Amino acid sequence: MLFNSLHFLLFLPIVVGLYYLLPQKFRWILIFIASCYFYMVFVPKYILILFLIIVIDYFAALTIEKVNGRLKLFYLIASLTANIGLLAFFKYFNFLNENITTLFSLFGKDIHPINLSVILPIGLSFHTFQSMSYTIEVFKGRQKAERHLGYFANYVLFFPQMVAGPIERYETLGTGLKTEHKPIYQNFADGFRLILFGLFIKMAVADNIAPYVNQIYAEPLKYNSLRILSGMFLFSFQIYADFFGYSTIALGSARLLGINIMDNFKTPYLSKSVSEFWSRWHISLSTWFRDYLYIPLGGNRVKLPRWSLNILIVFLISGLWHGASWTFVAWGALHGLMLLLERFFSKLFNFGIKEGWTLINVLLVLKTFIITSFIWVFFRAESFEKVKEIFTALLTNNQAVEKINVVIPLVFVAVMIFFDILLYNSRFDKKLATFKTPYRWAFYTVILFCLMALSGTQKFTFIYFQF
Amino acid sequence: MLILILIGLNFIYDATLYKKDLYEKCEQVVEIRKKQDSTDIFYFAESSNFNTRESDSIQYMISEMTGMFFPSLKLTSINKPATHAGIYKVWLKNISLKRKKPKAIVVTLNMRSFDAAWIHSNLETQLQESMVLTQPYPNLVNRFLLSLQAFDNKTEEQRTKEMLDDWETVKLVFPFDFKYKTVRDWDVSYGQYGWDMPDSPEKNKILLTCHYIKAYAFNLNENNPRVKDFDEIAEWCNKNNINLYLNLLAENIEYADSLVGKELVFLMRQNRDYLIKRYNKNNCVVVDNLELINGSEFTDQTWTTEHYGYKGRMIIAKNLANSLKNQFSKEYIKAY
Repeated sequence: MLFNSLHFLLFLPIVVGLYYLLPQKFRWILIFIASCYFYMVFVPKYILILFLIIVIDYFAALTIEKVNGRLKLFYLIASLTANIGLLAFFKYFNFLNENITTLFSLFGKDIHPINLSVILPIGLSFHTFQSMSYTIEVFKGRQKAERHLGYFANYVLFFPQMVAGPIERYETLGTGLKTEHKPIYQNFADGFRLILFGLFIKMAVADNIAPYVNQIYAEPLKYNSLRILSGMFLFSFQIYADFFGYSTIALGSARLLGINIMDNFKTPYLSKSVSEFWSRWHISLSTWFRDYLYIPLGGNRVKLPRWSLNILIVFLISGLWHGASWTFVAWGALHGLMLLLERFFSKLFNFGIKEGWTLINVLLVLKTFIITSFIWVFFRAESFEKVKEIFTALLTNNQAVEKINVVIPLVFVAVMIFFDILLYNSRFDKKLATFKTPYRWAFYTVILFCLMALSGTQKFTFIYFQF
Repeated sequence: MLILILIGLNFIYDATLYKKDLYEKCEQVVEIRKKQDSTDIFYFAESSNFNTRESDSIQYMISEMTGMFFPSLKLTSINKPATHAGIYKVWLKNISLKRKKPKAIVVTLNMRSFDAAWIHSNLETQLQESMVLTQPYPNLVNRFLLSLQAFDNKTEEQRTKEMLDDWETVKLVFPFDFKYKTVRDWDVSYGQYGWDMPDSPEKNKILLTCHYIKAYAFNLNENNPRVKDFDEIAEWCNKNNINLYLNLLAENIEYADSLVGKELVFLMRQNRDYLIKRYNKNNCVVVDNLELINGSEFTDQTWTTEHYGYKGRMIIAKNLANSLKNQFSKEYIKAY
């Protein structure tokens, strides 16, 4: 089910209403049924994959807790292999085949492996990572294994964040699901604010930018350099508004049920460096990689060459996590490379970033935005051929005559920048709570009008659903 | 408080953006509202009305030719390609009867619009989208529903599946023995199923034959969604005492017979008779053009359409004018 659908806007109040009417001991059943229904609206049969993940990790965690020594590690590896195996089967099988075929063809061998003709189960990368974090935490002894299969199932299935995160830890979401929540006014107020804002960001901002980006990326060679540049920058805002919008609605929906989930974004385009960008963009994934890959690899406590390698490994895998394509790997690699360069230059010039909005910091923000926008090209383009077309058009197409009016999306970009500045180091619901009542209602009114009257009219699913 | 705000916002939207949005999504409704005060007869049509042959010496639309028989009446045509009764009924409801009631309404009755391929056509999504802003809710709510894609917004795959299901499961009924029980069976008997087929010397002929089967092999009954739509149109006109003319378009019976055979022609005639029997009552007249046009007068010779050369358009316009003459005998002149 899409958040930006009438279906969801009817589904959510029903679930919230029933949730508070039911006694606590039955609520998990409601959340379970609602989450299954939410997921089955996409492709019903894929719920079985989720059930499989739930069963594997539920029993794996219980066993890990019971046993010691090598056996403990064995069960963890078995659980991780099962999770990654499922992900690999559905997401990377054909990719692997393509690469093996190419590799063989380099040696003059023509092979035809069988390709899978299945649609990638929606949000599979998110479920598996969330579930894996649980078994790892149990293995490390930081989390007690959940005895109640229903609660654990809800941790994996929880509908507000099941298909595109945030990737939650059991400690927070699991506890939230088990705690009895009363219908508190503040939760409703915050929840509605966040949902309103999230829908606005997705439907009015992202969906009004999307058609222009799609047009430019469809045939980049038809457009001149300036328009290609605007297309690149517009995509930066499209994907931000799209994913930030989704995460905000997820946050708001969970809040209506009294459950807190983590912030996935903190005004990432106001970052002064690429490393700061990664502490503000898709935070739940960044922290996942930090905790379960970067730190086990040695983190910061290793020598520079090893640290550089660690960074590259993390970002290459992060790129691959996003999609089974070399363009995603390149996207991750470039981010890793930028981090290494940043560290190199800051050491070379002994350059430290200071707080506050000085001219230097504004320039650094612009620099970071331009770098990330250029790297987004690899994320958005479906092939290296397209990447080449984009950069060829950017560098040489000064005479192209095809026109595209980017005024409307630029207006929405301006709106997005306004909100980023307003919400710097804050969140919409918290910020709005500091406004006096008339100003707050004025804000609601404007946002509501923009949402209802100016939202895009084409169907664009959330970009991150494909992962 | 929220309700007050929504009422205010709806007022602002009506006054500012609504007209622009409506024009973008459904310019036909804007046209109806704009022209209804000066209109005596509305002519609602799909592409049959305006599609002409480039080589035609006369390029007039069917509606324009019909209008020539009634020079003192204002006949306004509202056209949209691939449209059908489900859309016409929405157009009708946008005629404000408080302002001025049209004297008559002509609606094209396209035989193919009842078939599974048209009912489950991929164009349907866009047609349904175009209707959202005309729903009987506040305009701001309609605009929001449009953004939420709250209309019959099935994917291409879903629609194709429904079409294939219909072809496979809906039984064809004949009063005589006929070996093919479904569209699929009939289609497969020509060595093809679906829209594509491998190359062969006979490919084009087989493709066309199969198009005829898919387009016309069905038995009309009250469960057909288009029949339900026409029922609503007839009922609306009857209730509002407006004369309705259902202009049953000509089909290429000649090719249907030579390519497929008498069984298909039987179904076409049977369906025509069903429509006449169902709608030729009260203030509704079915104008039967089904067999009026020769095969060569159809502009598309490799596809099933209701696009005619100028002679064909003239014949249909004249036949329609003859029916309208009963109501507008004083205004009628012999145009040709």
